[in-house]
Amino acid sequence: MFRKYLAKRVIYGILMYVVMIFTYSALFNKVAEETVRAQIQEQVAQEASRYRNVTPEKLRELIESSRAAKLHQYHLDQSYATRVLWRAVDTLTFNFGRSAIMKAPDGDREVLAIIGDAIPRTIVLFTSEIVLVTALGVILGLYAARKPGGTLDKSVSMVTMITNGLPAWWLGMLMIMLFSYAVPIFPSGGLQSNPPPQGAAAVLDFLWHLALPLLTLVLLNTWGTGYLIRNIVLSNLQEDYVMAARARGVSERRVLFGHTLRTSMPAIMTLAILGLFSSIAGNIIVEGIFGWPGIGNLYFIAVQQNDVPVLMGTLAIETLLNMIGFILLDLIYGLLDPRIKTGGKA
Amino acid sequence: MRIGETLSGLGDFWKEYRKVGSGLVGLAILGLFVLFAVLGPALVPFPGAVDHWHDITYWQDNPMAAPPAWTNALVARKGAVSARLQPTESYPSEGGGASYAFAYDYRADRPPRDLIFRYKGSGKVFALLEATRPDGAKAEIYRGQLELGTDWQRISVEHDARAGVLELVSSVDEFIGASIDPASARPVSLLFSEIESDMADSPRALKGEYAFELRIQPLSQGAKAGVPELLVSGQVSGVLGTDVSKRDIFTGVVAGIKWALFIGFLTSIVTVILGVTLGVAAAYFSGPVDWLLTRVYEFVYLLPVLPFLIVLSAIYKPSIYTFMVIICLLFWSGPYKPVYSMALQIKEETFVEASRALGSSGGRIIFRHIIPILLPYSFAVMALSVPGVIVYEASVSLLGLGDSSIVTWGQILEAALSQGAVINSLWWWVIPPGLMIALMGMSFAFIGSAMDKILHPKLKTR
Repeated sequence: MFRKYLAKRVIYGILMYVVMIFTYSALFNKVAEETVRAQIQEQVAQEASRYRNVTPEKLRELIESSRAAKLHQYHLDQSYATRVLWRAVDTLTFNFGRSAIMKAPDGDREVLAIIGDAIPRTIVLFTSEIVLVTALGVILGLYAARKPGGTLDKSVSMVTMITNGLPAWWLGMLMIMLFSYAVPIFPSGGLQSNPPPQGAAAVLDFLWHLALPLLTLVLLNTWGTGYLIRNIVLSNLQEDYVMAARARGVSERRVLFGHTLRTSMPAIMTLAILGLFSSIAGNIIVEGIFGWPGIGNLYFIAVQQNDVPVLMGTLAIETLLNMIGFILLDLIYGLLDPRIKTGGKA
Repeated sequence: MRIGETLSGLGDFWKEYRKVGSGLVGLAILGLFVLFAVLGPALVPFPGAVDHWHDITYWQDNPMAAPPAWTNALVARKGAVSARLQPTESYPSEGGGASYAFAYDYRADRPPRDLIFRYKGSGKVFALLEATRPDGAKAEIYRGQLELGTDWQRISVEHDARAGVLELVSSVDEFIGASIDPASARPVSLLFSEIESDMADSPRALKGEYAFELRIQPLSQGAKAGVPELLVSGQVSGVLGTDVSKRDIFTGVVAGIKWALFIGFLTSIVTVILGVTLGVAAAYFSGPVDWLLTRVYEFVYLLPVLPFLIVLSAIYKPSIYTFMVIICLLFWSGPYKPVYSMALQIKEETFVEASRALGSSGGRIIFRHIIPILLPYSFAVMALSVPGVIVYEASVSLLGLGDSSIVTWGQILEAALSQGAVINSLWWWVIPPGLMIALMGMSFAFIGSAMDKILHPKLKTR
């Protein structure tokens, strides 16, 4: 039964992803093609400069045939609909094309290699953020739920509202001004010191560079998470088993940390996963502020250089990540609550 | 719903709303914002500047990256404040010319960065500038011919009066004047310092009333010069200082209020109307309409909004209005699902059934019976979705993809980021625009959650 549900969700997700990629390719095909055309032009010119001892007529013929072959190879000589189709197929097979300016560390200009190089760093930053935010949020939420309407509870919901419309990247700018220049404790950006230290020092150096962006994100996102966890815990505190436990004389501490936290855990885990994916989709440009070379930083460079293949590749990868996140979430729901999968409706 | 009913409903709502402290705070902040947006042009020193925000020449007489004027209160050595002075008196001279007297009261410890006399006119004129210091020293510090045009003509003491100021120093003490290296001398600093042997290296401020007389004499037939003004380009400037492009940040921040309110309000209103209408339509009509709308909803919901907006803006460079339309098309998924499930419930209520039995059309039931019930919820969602819209606009602007015909806080921050405000600790450039974004987000969050509390009393505490 669960297997059937799983298959259904995954297939539906893949279908949706295909539709999205088709939409992107219809929206952005024209600009993406311009880049490819420019690249072909460059390659043909390069080839032409290599020919020696040929008559001008012969040279022109060679160039024309080479250009025609390349245009055909990229399907640029076909109708608009076909071109959109091929761009979508290329994107779906992770064939994002080549960047004009950027390179992966090994000198590769393939967009996939550039993104592949950046993704692990993004995942490290945001996963550690979510782990910290969830841990702190649980503590905050539990203590706030203990005395609803109390000082802590009120301040948590107040700070949540204050941080609600506060851009993480702006806080990042302030943090850099404060902790890298006014009181120089942390480096202002980057992944490691130059020259990079060796051995155990390298790990410490990495953590030192991770600290400020991480601190910024945690400082901003803990409150909202704490508030949501408070709501989850509060609704569980009203269940009968809590009253039963209290009636049995179980200490309030054990009621909170033992009974309530345990039953709230699935909802909290869902919150964490959702937080991870929404943070990657929404807070990504924080990386640009800290020069953290993940996919968020790619946006800054690609926008400045007008690097269309990188932009589109990044968008496709982020869409895929988003999709995986939502499918994962659905599956966890299905696993935790058997009623959902029999419901049928998506 | 009749007007009377609506009014009394609003009255009841306000009675409840008044009890929520944070809601009142939010409303007060929003009120201030609206006030500033309306009074904006009257409050800022450069009212016409909004149309010239990206025009560097408009700002060229301001000091570069000067801190706010009030920072003088925090430091021991006060800096001269930027000012714009009109002539105190003027009298005509022979041959159709005129003389203008300016008085500048210098009370700071650090002299201005420059004094700029500027005027407009036509034809060729001869200009002569004479300075009188509080210690009685007096000299002609500039003379020259100028060709006037439609643009401002400037006499800058720092750039045009080097020789004249040195002469002024020499007229008091020949030896000190001769000891100063003309190539490295800083005319404005010399003009405002006590005349003593180390005045070039460690100047001591000479405070008091400085008088300037500018004589403008027409040279060609029909040459005319307008009334000049004196711009003091200070060490500190305005309410919020200036940026590296010499723009007055206060003017920009106030102009940003108007755009933030406009973008936030309009998009959230359209977004919520779209989301509520579609949600109700899907619930009411069910069947294929429901199926189709739900698929479209899922498509929009699964789209990574910020990356999509960035790529779209990078490729198409949309104007702010196009951008707002795109936001509306992406954000309606927010209220859609809750409205959908609420409408499903309302649809089964007996009064809807009765209306249907009386022969009401689908549109009538939706707009007369279902949507009025959802209105309070919609207003709460509207308020709560404003901060998101503003932050998205700011984020896209931060990447340099904003509409360059307007001024938004995101664009000010983009300039700050790309021109090194963070590295050079120009805090007065970074903090105010971001603080505005945060404050506006906060005020709408307060208002929205206050409405939410009234609508869902359960959320209040326990």
